[in-house]
Amino acid sequence: MNLLIFQSATADKSLKFSNTKAMWKNYLIVSFRNLKKRKLYTGINLLGLTIALVSFFVISLYIYHEWSYDRIYTGADRIYKFNQEFISGGEKQLVGTTPSSLVPTLIEEFPEVETGTLVFDLSIFSSVMVDAGEGNQEESRFAFVDDNFYQVFDFEILAGQKGKLLNEPNQLVLTESTAKRYFGSAQNAEGKSLKIDGQEYFITGVMEDFPSNSHLDFDFLASFKTHRHGRNPEWSPSNYYSYAKLRPESNPKEFEAKLPMMVEKYLGEAQKEYGFQTSFFPQVVTSIHLGDQTIRTVKPGTDIKYLYIFGLVAILLIAIGIINYVNLATAEATERNKEVGLRKVMGADRVQLFGQFVSESMILSFGAAALSLFVIYLVSPQFAKLSGAPLDLNLLFSIPGMLLLAGLVLIIGLLSGMYPSVILSGLEPIKALGNKVKIGGGAWVRKSLVVFQFFVSMGLLISTFVVKSQLDYMREVNLGYQREQVIALPYHYNMRKSIDAVKQEMLRTGAAESISLASDMPIYIKAGYSIFRGGDNQNEFMITGYSVDKDLVKTIGLEILEGENFLDTDLSRTMAYDSSMEYPVILNESALQQLGWNAGEAIGRKVNFGGGMAHVKGVVKNFYFNSLHHGVGPLAIFIDPEQANVLLLRLPAGNPAVHLARLEQTWKEMAPDRPFNYKFVDQEYAQLYRSEERVGAVFGLFSGIAIFIACMGLFGLVSYVALRRTREISIRKVLGATQHDVLSVLSADFFRLLGLAAGLAIGFGLWFTDAWLAAFANKASIGIWPYLYAVLIVLLLALITIGYRSWKVYTMNPSKTLKSE
Amino acid sequence: MIQLKEIDKYIESRFQRVFILKGINLTIGEGEFITLMGPSGAGKSTLLNILGLLDEDYAGEYYFGDKSIRKMKDKERSSLHKSEFGYIFQAYHLIDELTVYENIETPLLYRSVSSSERKSIIADLLDRFNMVAKKDLFPAQLSGGQQQLVGIARAIAGRPRVLLADEPTGNLHSGQAREIMEIFQELHAEGTTIIQATHARENADFGTRLINLVDGRIETDEAIAK
Repeated sequence: MNLLIFQSATADKSLKFSNTKAMWKNYLIVSFRNLKKRKLYTGINLLGLTIALVSFFVISLYIYHEWSYDRIYTGADRIYKFNQEFISGGEKQLVGTTPSSLVPTLIEEFPEVETGTLVFDLSIFSSVMVDAGEGNQEESRFAFVDDNFYQVFDFEILAGQKGKLLNEPNQLVLTESTAKRYFGSAQNAEGKSLKIDGQEYFITGVMEDFPSNSHLDFDFLASFKTHRHGRNPEWSPSNYYSYAKLRPESNPKEFEAKLPMMVEKYLGEAQKEYGFQTSFFPQVVTSIHLGDQTIRTVKPGTDIKYLYIFGLVAILLIAIGIINYVNLATAEATERNKEVGLRKVMGADRVQLFGQFVSESMILSFGAAALSLFVIYLVSPQFAKLSGAPLDLNLLFSIPGMLLLAGLVLIIGLLSGMYPSVILSGLEPIKALGNKVKIGGGAWVRKSLVVFQFFVSMGLLISTFVVKSQLDYMREVNLGYQREQVIALPYHYNMRKSIDAVKQEMLRTGAAESISLASDMPIYIKAGYSIFRGGDNQNEFMITGYSVDKDLVKTIGLEILEGENFLDTDLSRTMAYDSSMEYPVILNESALQQLGWNAGEAIGRKVNFGGGMAHVKGVVKNFYFNSLHHGVGPLAIFIDPEQANVLLLRLPAGNPAVHLARLEQTWKEMAPDRPFNYKFVDQEYAQLYRSEERVGAVFGLFSGIAIFIACMGLFGLVSYVALRRTREISIRKVLGATQHDVLSVLSADFFRLLGLAAGLAIGFGLWFTDAWLAAFANKASIGIWPYLYAVLIVLLLALITIGYRSWKVYTMNPSKTLKSE
Repeated sequence: MIQLKEIDKYIESRFQRVFILKGINLTIGEGEFITLMGPSGAGKSTLLNILGLLDEDYAGEYYFGDKSIRKMKDKERSSLHKSEFGYIFQAYHLIDELTVYENIETPLLYRSVSSSERKSIIADLLDRFNMVAKKDLFPAQLSGGQQQLVGIARAIAGRPRVLLADEPTGNLHSGQAREIMEIFQELHAEGTTIIQATHARENADFGTRLINLVDGRIETDEAIAK
């Protein structure tokens, strides 16, 4: 009777594929139950993969954001910014700004140019005072642009009529958030007016906020026609950003080749007369943000080197996550060989077993992906703060983003499931069933993976410490002047009548020891001038100029080597209005060297400086007036209150808050229409290294993550080793082994691996130190400490990990563990 | 059906070969119920593994029907293994993570049996062994005898022509052992060839032929009188 069943079910081979679904269902059920059963193992893997995925996507989004800069405009690949190169006295200088005549000339004379626009970023020089009827507010993101601006850059106009926004003098466009700030809404702002630096502007429209991935970034755009140079374009000075959009059919190369002819036509004579050469280079806007970082743009860019480094870090972290899985899964294979053997006896072939293991790793990687999306959502604001770039989560949740995620998850699942399944399905079933097997074959793979993980962890940590050493060095280095206890207040030309009285009062109250007007804070002096020995105009070169008053030397503590400081009676540069009048300059040692004089013979010599005659009044010891990426170039200090933008004040010793409160009181009484927005010079100095600071922070964060994942993996691995050797350890314990003996039994192997990883990481660290510090003219001396600390920290964490595990094994009751055998 | 010629199985040690099986010649006809007996280490399990294609590391010739196993390709061998053999173990060897139902289903999945057919086969087997109520339990929730019933159900689910059983009753008490043997007898009556290895003389009485192995050799080979 029972025979009937079998006959009715005569084998039908055509059903081969009809039940793949059932097969997968079976895989999934078993996988789920397996994962549930081994909670520690599942937890470690899930957490490791999740952290790795979060890091990967956060970094990817960041890189994408940086890459996407300026690709947002229609025809972005046809929009060019123009940079200008000066060659004089054998010195080359590439600057990001051009003369105001460039754009009109390009539009007029070059058929390739569809349209062009000019942007005059006023913040290069100073901030503006905005009065909406209730007192002045200082604003720094103010620019003049010409009427073609929106034809080149198609930002969205929220209020007002496109094409009629900035055609006439005294017109103003606000960004949305600025409009909200001043008027509550974009619609409210249109048609109103604002007084800026005493000039009345009419708001003709409101535009969207500049997207975070645009290199342009302003709050106020005023019509360039308001500005003197907007009405009469000139070929000097070069203070303006110029952009042109070429026609789609034009050839950019041919266009560029024609530019020298234009220079010859308009600047040929001036070049001959003053012995300089200049040329203009178009740079496609999409390359601005990641391009040459020495060229000035509205917003500081990102060194593409860092994107490569971060990309590498992202891939390394994913690799570490996968390695955890592979290591644990193979280690755990010893426990599962029975199941595998059985399945083989029942007729499973390798492909089917492969499906089983891969489905398990797939479940984990999908779980990790889901979890990581949630975590990314939570951490993205924090990361944005750290990296300075907002993360576009919409991008992640878009179809391509999801496809990338799915692809990555498949690859991770496949990679991490493959190795264990190959090892396990290759076992001979009968041996596996007998529980006699030791998964020995994969040992060296597992070992090299552990080495790799710890190599990466230690390497990242060493890099973090090196970056930190250089940052500390730059923060603490003696710059050649005193930047502590010095504050800067914004100064405006319209304060010129009252400034002396303000200074006197502040000194009188004792809230300031010394006060000087200056064109810039000494941390970063920007203005460039030309200089040559009197009468020798063939050896002209570029020099940085610092316009100040006589109190600067005292205020920031400069050291005069030869000659003397300025006197009250000395002429300012602007007062030397006719060329027969000489004004005094103080030069630094670098300038002297380039002029070919030594300190003694320089005093009283004549130089042609910035187009006027001057004589050397003093020689000042070199001090750093730029970020430490650069050395100390030539510098000329001269008196010119008309160019002053800041008031530098040295505070007396003691609590700065007390002095500041008194200064503010004086300021409010004597300059009521100027805000009291002080900045500490040493804090601003630290800001120069913001991008390095970020790199340091990001390195620190991700090396922490790498160490965490690696230690988790180590914990899992040690757990399995401990499990496998429970019996051995119990016997040792019965024979009198101490806890220390147990620890050394479990850790000896691992520490040999960690030693190897440390060796490799130190090698990498040496290379990294060299490569990274190459970007600084002034390098910290890196001793052995970063290496030693990194290795010791990681070793210590590994020891704790192993120690914890071995302690748990040690405290097990041997009578229990031995009975089960 | 099965013919073994001069099968040797040995382990090379440093100075000599240690034989586990030596010069085994054995012909097994379709429908026989053979019992392998002998002391521990006599080679019973090794012989079963070789018969069941689980061990390919031996010298000598093995013919299944008229085909030499050695000359088969991997694929042929594995499909022969899948379609013709079922296994029963002393320690049951059920998969702990699967329920009774799923354990029985597993070999069917590997054999690409359609879903409806699987259901009917498993339903019949559960019914036959009185395990319908236990189909959703996990192995750890069953007694030893019940686990072995599942093991048998799993072994015969794929309708093998040859059933190999290594000490199937070794972990069971006598009542349960007897029940298992009666099922073997029933299967035998339905035409299945059965080869079992056992220590228990009383089990041999259910079979048709008794082979005694001593030190890797066949000592006696006799028919069991009914």
